[in-house]
Amino acid sequence: MYKKLAKTEFPRFFEGLGNLGKVYGPVNIEGSTYEFREVQSPEEMDLKYTRTMIPPKKFFLGTKETMYTFDEEKAVYTPAIGKQEKTIIFGIHACDIHALKLLDKVYMDELMDLFYTMKRRNTILIGISCHPDEYCFCKSMGTSYATDGFDLFLHELSDGYFVRVGSEKGHQIIEANKPLFIDADEKDVEEFKMNEKKRLEEFNLELNVLGLQDMLDLAYESPVWQETADECFGCGTCNLTCPTCRCYDVVDYVGLDLKTGERVRRWDSCMLRKHGLVAGGLNFRPTRTERLRNRFNCKGSLTEGMLNCVGCGRCTVYCPAEINFVEVMKKVIGEL
Amino acid sequence: MEEGGKAALSKIAPKELVLSPAKIVKSENMTEIEKHLELEFQDKDYAKGFVYKPGQFVEVSVMGVGEAPISICAARKNPDILELCVRRVGRVTNAIHRLKVGDLLWIRGPYGNGFPMEKMEGSNLLLVGGGLGIAPLRGVLQHALMNREKYGEILVLYGIRCYTAMLFRDEFLHLFYEGDKQNVKFYLSYEDSSDKACYELACERSDRCMSGVVTKLFQLMKISAEDTYAVICGPPIMYKFVVKELLQRNFSPKQIYMTLERRMKCGVGKCGHCIIGSGSNIKYVCKDGPVFTYWDALNTKGMI
Repeated sequence: MYKKLAKTEFPRFFEGLGNLGKVYGPVNIEGSTYEFREVQSPEEMDLKYTRTMIPPKKFFLGTKETMYTFDEEKAVYTPAIGKQEKTIIFGIHACDIHALKLLDKVYMDELMDLFYTMKRRNTILIGISCHPDEYCFCKSMGTSYATDGFDLFLHELSDGYFVRVGSEKGHQIIEANKPLFIDADEKDVEEFKMNEKKRLEEFNLELNVLGLQDMLDLAYESPVWQETADECFGCGTCNLTCPTCRCYDVVDYVGLDLKTGERVRRWDSCMLRKHGLVAGGLNFRPTRTERLRNRFNCKGSLTEGMLNCVGCGRCTVYCPAEINFVEVMKKVIGEL
Repeated sequence: MEEGGKAALSKIAPKELVLSPAKIVKSENMTEIEKHLELEFQDKDYAKGFVYKPGQFVEVSVMGVGEAPISICAARKNPDILELCVRRVGRVTNAIHRLKVGDLLWIRGPYGNGFPMEKMEGSNLLLVGGGLGIAPLRGVLQHALMNREKYGEILVLYGIRCYTAMLFRDEFLHLFYEGDKQNVKFYLSYEDSSDKACYELACERSDRCMSGVVTKLFQLMKISAEDTYAVICGPPIMYKFVVKELLQRNFSPKQIYMTLERRMKCGVGKCGHCIIGSGSNIKYVCKDGPVFTYWDALNTKGMI
């Protein structure tokens, strides 16, 4: 279903979203750093943002979230299911939508994760069209356009937004704001198509992913892993900023009464030394080279048919050692 | 589902992820560092639904300390009882060792694929265990003995460091001496050649016991790869040496099963720590394993 939202109606539409829950949108923090923050008005957002530093996974997998509280006297673990807030993520890009689709597969398909699922089900995703910068390679990854996985998707037009409806929830929002939306006419459709075409021509960065999985297998002993690991700080920033990285660690914290406490899970990183360490001291990925190789192999692999990298460029943008993901991949598979 | 709420969502949570309390009803120090625990599920309905295969594992919680993956060391006989063999090696397992009979642990699982007991029916079994690796194999052995007519000859190769490090000593010594009555040949190797008790065993039954690593035992036995499945569990270093012996005896890669150790926080393929492999073939040991064939190992980088 396709609609049009005129620019003049946009503020009213945005205001209405506030009635559905807390609205988070891309806010400029400093320079080119953006973050999804709670917003009250459209002016607080920069809808022409490139990418947020921390991807939207933070809404569903808390950086540090309580899974259970426990009480030793009562001998119970209680799942930490608080009141679920309705969340609207406004202005999510296509690559991040694809990343969430991947996380959904992992966390909700098989042995559903209660904590992720509860948050995910209470969220409305409103996508927005974007333009690539020099770090974006989503076009190569097949994630530059989202056909599903969102509730509404807004494509900027000269005088408003061309709106794609992606779900029943999205349709309900349109229905609730009926007077604000009009049918898109031929001119709007033409402009939408033209913009999408132009957008695809704006990409400068490419990575050939056909057969990438086999290329990685064949490059398992490549010296590039060691060379790159020599530059890597092993800080794990790439993991934290990656929209599909989902490793977590679980820790029990005991309160000062030594009787109650909580079991918490927090983001983990495969670039950290402890990631492959088992009790007794054996480490299955003891060197940085092995850890880095594992990360690139993981990103280049498929999870139920979906690539584990969506080409958002964050790991390259935020790497303090200036390791360029695409460049390393190209070196490894012999294209550089 | 919009306002699903607490109750509704808890109901749809998979039972495999629920922490279920289990009381320690028996705790035996088998060695200085290994305990044999029998746990009784408090929720009898949960126990009924807790069906596991040899080679599967559980995540065990000690309240206030943490959670660790432990393999189940017995076949499912009495549904209320879960048997674990726990080596004191990390924070959680040390805490488990401090617990006494009557104390509670919390269990979730069972996880992993387990050994394909049905597929191995009609064949001989060759079990090769090193140290603590014998624990999951004990489940295979028990299952085969409980269904004795379904399996051929059972050969057990057990490598220990010394006599005092031998797990399930009474049980295994019984099989060592009397196993043949059930068509079980139990072989024992010991690494500490100065160990007196083992030396005596070796003198007594030189056809079944010798000093050295577990692969040495292959010298003692006659085995035909035909109609035999090998099942291996031991310290990571052990696998390639055992596999080498098996390949020399014409075992095919798919006749060799092994169960692997990795860091497993979640047990269900989500937390990511047990990842192995490369681009075309990424596996999570907890979910896709922990039991793999040697064929899998040939196709998965970094497996053994």
